Amino acid sequence: MSAGPRFGRVATGMAQKHLDTFAQTTPGVVSAVLMSADGFEIVSLQVGKGGAARLAAMGSSLSAIGSAIAKEAGIVECNRMVIESDSGTVVIMNVPESRPPMSLAVIANDNSMLGQLLWSAKTCCAAIARAFRE
Amino acid sequence: MSEEFKIIFSGPMGAGKTTAIAAISDEAPVSTDVVNTDRAAFDKELTTAGLDYGRIEIDAETSVRLYGTPGQLRFRFMWDILGHNAAGVVILLDASQADALVQLDAFVEAFGAGKRAPLVIGVGRCAEPGALALDAFAQRLENHGLNLPLFGVDVRRREDVLLLVDTLLCLLEVSDPARLHA
Ligand SMILES: Nc1nc2c(ncn2[C@@H]2O[C@H](COP(=O)(O)OP(=O)(O)O)[C@@H](O)[C@H]2O)c(=O)[nH]1
Ligand SMILES: [Mg+2]
Repeated sequence: MSAGPRFGRVATGMAQKHLDTFAQTTPGVVSAVLMSADGFEIVSLQVGKGGAARLAAMGSSLSAIGSAIAKEAGIVECNRMVIESDSGTVVIMNVPESRPPMSLAVIANDNSMLGQLLWSAKTCCAAIARAFRE
Repeated sequence: MSEEFKIIFSGPMGAGKTTAIAAISDEAPVSTDVVNTDRAAFDKELTTAGLDYGRIEIDAETSVRLYGTPGQLRFRFMWDILGHNAAGVVILLDASQADALVQLDAFVEAFGAGKRAPLVIGVGRCAEPGALALDAFAQRLENHGLNLPLFGVDVRRREDVLLLVDTLLCLLEVSDPARLHA
C-alpha cells in the first residue's frame, strides 16, 4: 500500500497508469517508484511492499543531496540524477512544478539505453505533473 | 597540531537538528530540507530529506564538522551513513511530544548508547505546558543503566547548542586524552 489518499486518489490513479505505460514502452525498466520529496511512496511499479518504501526514502535523500550539490556548484536546478553501472542504471528525475514536490526513481537493467530511458522518463514525468495539476 | 572532529546531530523530526546546526555553524549551513507532506507527524513546513552540514572552529586547534540526520525512521539508513566514523553524537529531543521517552530509547540505542562514541542529549521545549520534565529523561536513562550527559536546551540559542558540542569535546578528551593534545 502506498501513501495514496494523501496525494489524491484520482491523480495517483492516473500516475499509476502513466508509470505502467512507461514500463511497457521502455526497454529495460525493472522497477520504478514515484515519491514525494520527503520520501513517501506515491505509486510504484514492480517493487515489493518494503522495497518501494525503501527506494522512495533513499531516492528522496539522494535527490535532496543532489539539489544541494547543484546549488553549491552554482547550477540553479538539479533535474535528474543518473547512477550507472555495468549491469544497470538508476535514474532519479524531478517531476516538474509538482505540488507537493515529487520525483520518479527508475531502475533499469542493461537492456536499456540511457538516452531512450531518460527521454521516456521525462515524458512520463511531464504526464504525471499534468495529472497532479488537474 | 590541529584536529577536526565529526559530530552528528540526530533525534526525531522537529526536535531541532537543522536549527541547532544553523545556530552555531561559522559558514552558511548546507540544507536539504524539502516540503513536509506529513503534517500529522510534525506540523512544520519543511523537513530534512538528506542531511544538514555545517562547520565550526572552536579554537585555533579544534574545528568540528557538524552533520544532521533526518529524523524519521524511514530515513534510518542515513543515520548509519552519517554516523559512520563520527567522533560523537548529539541526540535532540522535544519534551512536548508524548512519545519523547520512546524516542530517547530509540535514538540512544541506534547510536550505540554512548559505547561506540560519546553521546550527549539535549532536550528542548521543557517549559511548554504538558512537557515532560528533564528528570523523566534522566530517570529513563537510569532505568537502562545509562548515565549520559543531559541538558535542557533551546536549539535556537547558540550558547545552548555550543554547550552540547563542548560537552562532547570534553568527553572525547577524557576518553582519548592523546587525541586533543597530539
Ligand atoms: N517555540 C519554540 N520553538 C522551538 C523551540 N525549539 C525549537 N523550536 C523550533 O522548532 C523547529 C525545529 O525544526 P527543525 O530544526 O527543522 O527540526 P529537525 O526536524 O530536528 O531538523 C524550528 O522551527 C525551531 O525554531 C522552543 O524551545 N520553542
Ligand atoms: Mg532537519
